[in-house]
Amino acid sequence: MIEVRNLTVKYDGHVALENLTFSLEHPSFLVILGPNGAGKTTLLKTFLGLIPYEGEIRIFGKEPREVRNLLGYMPQRDRINRSVPLRVKDVVMMPLLVTIGLKKEVVKRAREALRGVGMEKYWNADFRSLSGGQQQRVFLARTLARNPKAILLDEPFSATDVATKMAVIKILHRLKRERTIILVTHDVNPLVECTDKVLLLNRKMIGFGRLIDVITEENMERLYGTRVPIIRRENVCYTVGGDIHVRP
Amino acid sequence: MFALSIWVLRGIIAVILISLVASTAGTFTVFKGATFFVSGIAHAVLAGAAFGIFITLYFFPFPEFLMTIFFAIFFALAIGYATHRSENVDVSVGIMFAFSMSLAVLFLAMIKEYASVAWGLIIGDLLLLSQEDVLWMSIAVLLILLLFLIFRRKMLFSIFDPEGAEAMGVNPYLYETLLYLLVGIGVVVIMKGVGAILVYALLIIPAAAGKRLSKGVLATGLFALLFSLLSGFGGIALSVLSGITPSALAGLIATFIYFLSYLKRGTVKVP
Repeated sequence: MIEVRNLTVKYDGHVALENLTFSLEHPSFLVILGPNGAGKTTLLKTFLGLIPYEGEIRIFGKEPREVRNLLGYMPQRDRINRSVPLRVKDVVMMPLLVTIGLKKEVVKRAREALRGVGMEKYWNADFRSLSGGQQQRVFLARTLARNPKAILLDEPFSATDVATKMAVIKILHRLKRERTIILVTHDVNPLVECTDKVLLLNRKMIGFGRLIDVITEENMERLYGTRVPIIRRENVCYTVGGDIHVRP
Repeated sequence: MFALSIWVLRGIIAVILISLVASTAGTFTVFKGATFFVSGIAHAVLAGAAFGIFITLYFFPFPEFLMTIFFAIFFALAIGYATHRSENVDVSVGIMFAFSMSLAVLFLAMIKEYASVAWGLIIGDLLLLSQEDVLWMSIAVLLILLLFLIFRRKMLFSIFDPEGAEAMGVNPYLYETLLYLLVGIGVVVIMKGVGAILVYALLIIPAAAGKRLSKGVLATGLFALLFSLLSGFGGIALSVLSGITPSALAGLIATFIYFLSYLKRGTVKVP
């Protein structure tokens, strides 16, 4: 359970997030949508207890800093220093080695996590030689190896092909049965089947609720400042044309 | 003959010490992509040496090596802080580079005829190390190895994935600064042997060549150790035979090894 009340985050002298209030049940799948600079990553980092905030956040009934070991974080792939020569096993075990040390249990958990994302045969492979999609799956395995109750993913589909995207979504779909997943993305369309709630964020909360209720042309125009056509069919809706993310 | 042997023996010990630094702190510096930092610290060490001589001349005796360590630590911390603030290691190093070099020139002007002692750090000489030099180098390397062994996993996590490390409660700024500290002390150690200009040759080039050939962190470190030992011992051997300063020869061998690493097929192309 995640509860956010009147959350405001001030960052380097400007307001990054303003007066957010929402709550999320456990387990569930939340997608955070918003343009560049909307505060999506800031919100994830606030959940992780890395950024000071005003207001109230309760994650499984506790302050963010107190539940860090219950949260798994998968950062954006382009923030990783991919020049470091690491084997896949090293990448997956890295957080466990820091917290637990080199033990049999760590190796076992890392292997199981890699198996869970279909990457076990790459155990000894050079991480740098993997494709972008394979690297994303290794990062997902690394996040899962810690066995977190909630998983926070920051744009896991950036620079990945369709096959990878669908493979990761399939894994996430399976995981949502017992874990809360919070995913930042620019394209909600591939996630319509597994998404429980959507948060439309542009520093302020533009909308929060079920996808079918929140993804409206009016909300999307408020979110992106331009008209975004929506296709609706029965209880599903799709945005037409993705939000293309260009990093400055 | 005996006199030559003791100098050579000290040179051999120095090469082993230098190689240990290259395989640990040097390797992580290459991973971090902060190799320019090494040059920045080398100039700070020159300023430290000049200041040490200045203090000894006009106030009280102060070990020159200790002063160079203080300067290296101060500038490593300053660069770490500036990097944290501006998020650009090149700019931070550039500023500190200019500051330390200005101080060096200032102190060298003040110590006049003794300036040649500090200038000796520019070239260095593996075969002119005193007993005291080797003792200080050994203490410094032991400190580097101890800190490296304790904190290597957190440093590596911070280098590879600072955001992921932070999310796990590992402060990447702290461990990045620790790496700079280790490298700073390492530069002092290596400069004694090979000088400011060639400090790069034994700290960075072996690790860079090792990284090209290996798929893992440990293998990179072992390659760096091997290449650094080969360069250092080769430099000493050729120096004994030719009379040319060993640091220059060690630098040439290290560079040659690096170019040889290009011959290996299937080296990993880094994005």
